[in-house]
Amino acid sequence: MKRPLTLAVFGAAVTLLVAGCSSDGQGSAASGGTPQQGGSVTFAMPPNATPNWIFPIGTPGHLASFNGAIRQEVFLPLYYYDGSSGTVALDEKAGVAKPPVYSNGGKTVDIKLNALTWASGQKVTSRDVEFWFNLVKANKAQWGNYNAGDLPDNVAKFDTVSDTEFKLELTKAYNPDWFTANQLTYVTPIPQAVWDVQSAGGKVGDYDRTTDGAKKVFKYLTGEAGKLSEYASNPLWKAADGPFTVKEFTTTGQVTLARNPRYTGTDTARLDTVTFKPFTSSDAELNVLRSGGVDYGYLPALAVSQSKSIENSGYQVKPWNGWAITYIPYNFNNPAMGAVFKQLYVRQAVQMSIDQSTISRVLWHNEAAPGYGPVPQTPVSKYLSPVQQTNPYPFDLNKAKGLLTSHGWTITNGVASCARPGSGPTQCGAGIKAGTQLKLTINSQSGSTATDNMMQEVQSSLSKIGIGLSIKAEPLNSVLDHTAQCKPSQSSCSWQLSFFGTAGSWYFPAYPSGEQIFSSTGSTNLGSYVDPAADDLVRKSTSSSDPAAMQDYDAYVTKNLPVIWMPNPAYQVSAIRKSLGGVVQDPLANIQPQRWYLTK
Amino acid sequence: MTRFLAKRIGQAVVVIFFVTVIVFLLLHSVPGGPAHGILGPKASPQAIAEFNRVHGFDKSLIQQYWAYMRELLHGDLGESYTLNQSVASLIGQRIPKTLVLTGLSTLVALLVAIPLGVWQARRRKGLADYAVTTVVFVGYATPVFFLALILVIVFTQKTQLLPPQAPQTQSIAGLFADSRALILPVLAGAIATVAAFSRYMRSAVLDNLAEDYVRTARAKGASERRVVWLHIMRNSLTPIIAMLGYYLPVLFSGALVIESVFNYPGMGLLFWNAAQTSDYPILLGAVLVIALATVIGSLLADVLQALVDPRVRGAIN
Repeated sequence: MKRPLTLAVFGAAVTLLVAGCSSDGQGSAASGGTPQQGGSVTFAMPPNATPNWIFPIGTPGHLASFNGAIRQEVFLPLYYYDGSSGTVALDEKAGVAKPPVYSNGGKTVDIKLNALTWASGQKVTSRDVEFWFNLVKANKAQWGNYNAGDLPDNVAKFDTVSDTEFKLELTKAYNPDWFTANQLTYVTPIPQAVWDVQSAGGKVGDYDRTTDGAKKVFKYLTGEAGKLSEYASNPLWKAADGPFTVKEFTTTGQVTLARNPRYTGTDTARLDTVTFKPFTSSDAELNVLRSGGVDYGYLPALAVSQSKSIENSGYQVKPWNGWAITYIPYNFNNPAMGAVFKQLYVRQAVQMSIDQSTISRVLWHNEAAPGYGPVPQTPVSKYLSPVQQTNPYPFDLNKAKGLLTSHGWTITNGVASCARPGSGPTQCGAGIKAGTQLKLTINSQSGSTATDNMMQEVQSSLSKIGIGLSIKAEPLNSVLDHTAQCKPSQSSCSWQLSFFGTAGSWYFPAYPSGEQIFSSTGSTNLGSYVDPAADDLVRKSTSSSDPAAMQDYDAYVTKNLPVIWMPNPAYQVSAIRKSLGGVVQDPLANIQPQRWYLTK
Repeated sequence: MTRFLAKRIGQAVVVIFFVTVIVFLLLHSVPGGPAHGILGPKASPQAIAEFNRVHGFDKSLIQQYWAYMRELLHGDLGESYTLNQSVASLIGQRIPKTLVLTGLSTLVALLVAIPLGVWQARRRKGLADYAVTTVVFVGYATPVFFLALILVIVFTQKTQLLPPQAPQTQSIAGLFADSRALILPVLAGAIATVAAFSRYMRSAVLDNLAEDYVRTARAKGASERRVVWLHIMRNSLTPIIAMLGYYLPVLFSGALVIESVFNYPGMGLLFWNAAQTSDYPILLGAVLVIALATVIGSLLADVLQALVDPRVRGAIN
């Protein structure tokens, strides 16, 4: 598993995806044998993943995926989405609340809580949800998931109806699927009766109901969350409502969860303990896997060819495909090449030069799948438009070259130069000066042979249509640092193309809308793509309840190519012990260890 | 001697100060700071702004350096951006583990290399010398990761004699309690070092064998054993002691490859990961430790040489 933790996967998805992923390797691991109650399982975490945050409100820098995966077993979120039903859908048992009811044209949400209790025996109530809202509202700048305009800004009022029911008045109408999957999944009821204190040993009060009080409570709780070595002993973190509690949480990243004997929900853990084991490298993990030291591990990319020997050692080997897309953003504000990137025909020519099926098959050994648009290509979902499904820009170098030459580019010594400047239909396009050469640079993530080979293949293909590509390989963090949203006058705008998708560029929450990546105001619209039509379609996909809105958005953006669509690598190639059952390789990259069991 | 020590310590403080300035400036000159890389592509502008505020990136470089130095002078190395722990506690956890690994590797290497070097020198240009030289060169030339991989395959998969990973406990006592698991990482670290030390030892002994004092000792009827192990050995250790002094930073900086292959999180991996994730406080803290080890190591080398070699002692005095 080579995915960087910076690509945190935040829970969420929407119901009603077309079924079909249970048979594609995502489904439950077949185990055979008789299921047993109890036992212990060791799960291998990705190289250098060290869980380090348990408090359900993560501050910037503490949102890595394994923090979320572990925390959600201890403190249940309001809503939880996963692929356990065979589709990416709401998993009611793994959350705290019953499905929300929207009214008032999508402006009011009525939520009823399931009968759950904290470890203290007290009920999980609306007050615990209000407590979360109050803390986040007063400290939103410190909440790592905060996006201006989204939660908690879009909730105008929190109305408590009863201990187990509350209503949210929203600031405007939202698409219910989007709001539940991409907003309400962040909400986690937290035990107000235990945590509403301002200092260690302090008296519990309603401090969160004032801004000052909420700030003090938040400061105290984040301070306690900074004491990693006390996670297993601090009474604060013992107040769990989930199927597991923390038994061990070491400063080097090993976490052991034990079945919560006081859990009162319907999703009781079957195992006694689950250990999340950290590894220094994927090679170290493979060595331990070969000797049988982990029950649920993974194969490093270069060891996928050894899957037979791993299978012979008692494991099933299967890819774990993510709910993600992988792409290369263009920097539309780059002073040298921005004007070139703004030409759709250039982007079409580039896209038609990417031989996705060969790259997936040969370079990724089928552990990556072609992707043609802004919605995950697999599992097939109701959001996927026929346009994206059928790939509007299949690999065709002749056609790609023709697009350039028919727009006034002449190819000499293998590099295309603009010979006919101007904005006419047979000219290079607005802003492109005569003599401009199609010489591009890409900052590419280093450390993966498959990615290195893929970049060389893209370089080779582009050279055949007159586009020179220089590859600058850097560690992932450097690539991200150098891929900032920028204005043409800024020095940080020198990047032209960027690849940070060795483990997938963008993992979606359950509702795969593009407001963050393809809207002109999106916080991760790295290349500053601006298209009013796309903006309008993005807006409709998140605010309108019209089921066609997502498909319309998908079809338009697929064809408009705001980025170069690339094959999407699997989240990991898993090795699961044959005696371990109940495993779902959740496309949202979450795990549900409470449903795992050992067989005899 | 006291003056010598005071002068060297003064020099060390200046060197360390300049190391912090240079490393700090190099790290903080990256445009945009590390927020994008650390928070990932999903980070909102608000999260990035908050990160920059909390870690002082919204201030001028001089203000940032001043804040860093002020904390440093109060003994605070800062907080890691990514690991939710203080740099001091991270280094405090990793250094003992690292020293166990690198120290044991070096000790094993010395125990093998010193007698081996002497033995080879006495049989120079013989068949045994050539054979050992070949083996030692192969060990020296083999990349550590490859060597570690071979050890893992042979001893954990083919024969299953030893565990595939280093002890996973956090305590030093626990490390020794699971001593079987230490064998492979220590061996992997020792093999390349044996080659380096034994070659130094061999050439030092060869030089000394031709010295007048050796001839004198033999002429006076000293046994060959006494000549070699008492007279030649002591004089030949000078370059090894010098090397050991300069080896100190290597002991502290860890063994990245071995830590990585044997799942043993030590200083090498801490530094490497911090470099990969732009975790500046860890980088600065680790550089400080290594710089400190370097100056202390060179000082120790000089002092030890003075103890062993009266000529050096005379020069210092």
